[in-house]
Amino acid sequence: MQSSRRRRILVTLLWIAVAFVYLFPYTWMVMTAFRLPIDTLSMRFVFTPTLDGFREILVNANFLRYVGNSILTAVPTTLLVVAIAAPAAYALAHLDRRNRTFLGAVLIVRMVPGIAIVVPLYLVASGLGLLDQRPTLIFVYSAFNLPFAIWLLRGFLREVPVELREAAIIDGCSELQVFTKVVLPLVTGGLVATGVFVFIAAWNEFLFALALTQSRAATAPLAITGFRNEYGTQWGAIGAAALMISTPVVIFAVAMQRYLVRGLTMGAVKG
Amino acid sequence: MAAETLPGDLLAARQKRAALLFMLPAMILLVAVYAAPLGYALKASFTGWLLTRPATANIFVGLDNYTELLSSPEMWSAIRVTLIYAVAAVSLGLVFGTLLALMLDADFYARSFFRSIMIIPMVITPSVIGIFWKLLYEEDSGVFNAVLQAVGLWKVAWLNLDMALPAIIIMDVWQTTPFFMLIMLAGLQAIDRNTVEAARVDGATSLQLFRYVMLPHLVPYMLIATSFRTIAAMGDFDKIWLLTSGGPGNRTTTVTIFAYKNGFSAFDIGRTTAIAWILVAIVLTASAPLLVRLFRSAVEER
Repeated sequence: MQSSRRRRILVTLLWIAVAFVYLFPYTWMVMTAFRLPIDTLSMRFVFTPTLDGFREILVNANFLRYVGNSILTAVPTTLLVVAIAAPAAYALAHLDRRNRTFLGAVLIVRMVPGIAIVVPLYLVASGLGLLDQRPTLIFVYSAFNLPFAIWLLRGFLREVPVELREAAIIDGCSELQVFTKVVLPLVTGGLVATGVFVFIAAWNEFLFALALTQSRAATAPLAITGFRNEYGTQWGAIGAAALMISTPVVIFAVAMQRYLVRGLTMGAVKG
Repeated sequence: MAAETLPGDLLAARQKRAALLFMLPAMILLVAVYAAPLGYALKASFTGWLLTRPATANIFVGLDNYTELLSSPEMWSAIRVTLIYAVAAVSLGLVFGTLLALMLDADFYARSFFRSIMIIPMVITPSVIGIFWKLLYEEDSGVFNAVLQAVGLWKVAWLNLDMALPAIIIMDVWQTTPFFMLIMLAGLQAIDRNTVEAARVDGATSLQLFRYVMLPHLVPYMLIATSFRTIAAMGDFDKIWLLTSGGPGNRTTTVTIFAYKNGFSAFDIGRTTAIAWILVAIVLTASAPLLVRLFRSAVEER
């Protein structure tokens, strides 16, 4: 008993060391947010915390506007993806389970890298005068996340017994009623998990935002690049902005840990 | 089988029609944002379209863009960089991720706390990582060199010709190790504890235990993790773009970066769409085993 306890303490100490080294770049980022540039450049570990960095990005109205854009892009994207993916996933999970064409299409589209569609999307959007507008970005983000969401939700919906749908149909429910009143309430966990993953992806997205927006609809991941410019690097501002952009997604991911493995592998590993 | 098809062809037909309606919005969105642009890109890749000269949009050049690219050293360099990046980053991520998963599978204090904080790098916004790692890598003011010097080693010019590719690989390994860790941990926890105990009672060493009991069980998990990550790595853009922009020279110009530069710096639409299609072909070929596996398990399940 005594030796197993010692072993546990030793492993814990080892983990403290591993986590310290591994997370060092992140810790450094967090510290940069609270340090004066002079302390950052002199590599000081002990320093007087300052909120100058935060003051800088809060006073800089543009940065807040971009954070606002990020929220107003990621939230509608999340809602739209779940609203469109859930019925499609239900169809694939219960109504037409061997629809090879759609199953195959969803999988193939999931693998197509963003760069393959960004140039044509740019050309079409610019032709239609839709560049630098939030709805354009929402539309593109929604499609980009759709295959993943359909596949993941299909897995959750497969766990609902088929007998349930049959019983409800015999009782006189329409397919739509079965879906909204009987099936959906049983998979709220899956809907939330899928929604959170879509939100994280939309919040973190960079390539489409870079190509399809300029100053009006630009999102926070683009805005942070502005603190590193020809006048030098605004250390405190970059640190504060980095912390502000990454903290929501870190919290969401940690809260969704239970579903993380399943989400990352499109349900191939249950975790 | 019998339970799902209620009596009557009529009901089955009605069910199919309902299914189609349920899938319709998703189909429309995927056609509008994927199928149509991909088709448009395919058509554009057969033209000599330069965005700066609109009249060139209709100059049909056949396969010229493709033959020119496949004989250009730039394209092959981009393919080489992409493959080195993907293979090196994925293998290192798998090794570190597996080691960390084995460590997490042990018995120690505050296990779920460590598990939680270890996944942070995986979810941080990639553009933040690209921006921040550039600061960490700075030759004179970066913290990596400060640490190296503090422990008595020499400064490294991280982003010069020789080190830039390793530097983007290290950054990616840092970010994606938790991904491998989580999947391998899921694999380890699915192992039957009795088998492990039995092997231990029979006198197996830890190494033998890993080699003969755990590893065979982990292989499918490794395949899934490496497939997903390889496919994603080949499309990586943001981190690399913000750290090196593909430079110095074209040392870190992956196919994705190469396509982006041709499209948005040179405005050579014919060429960039051809590069994009070549990348799609490469990625789909590489993902074929995973696609087949996911497809089969979906079609064949009860």
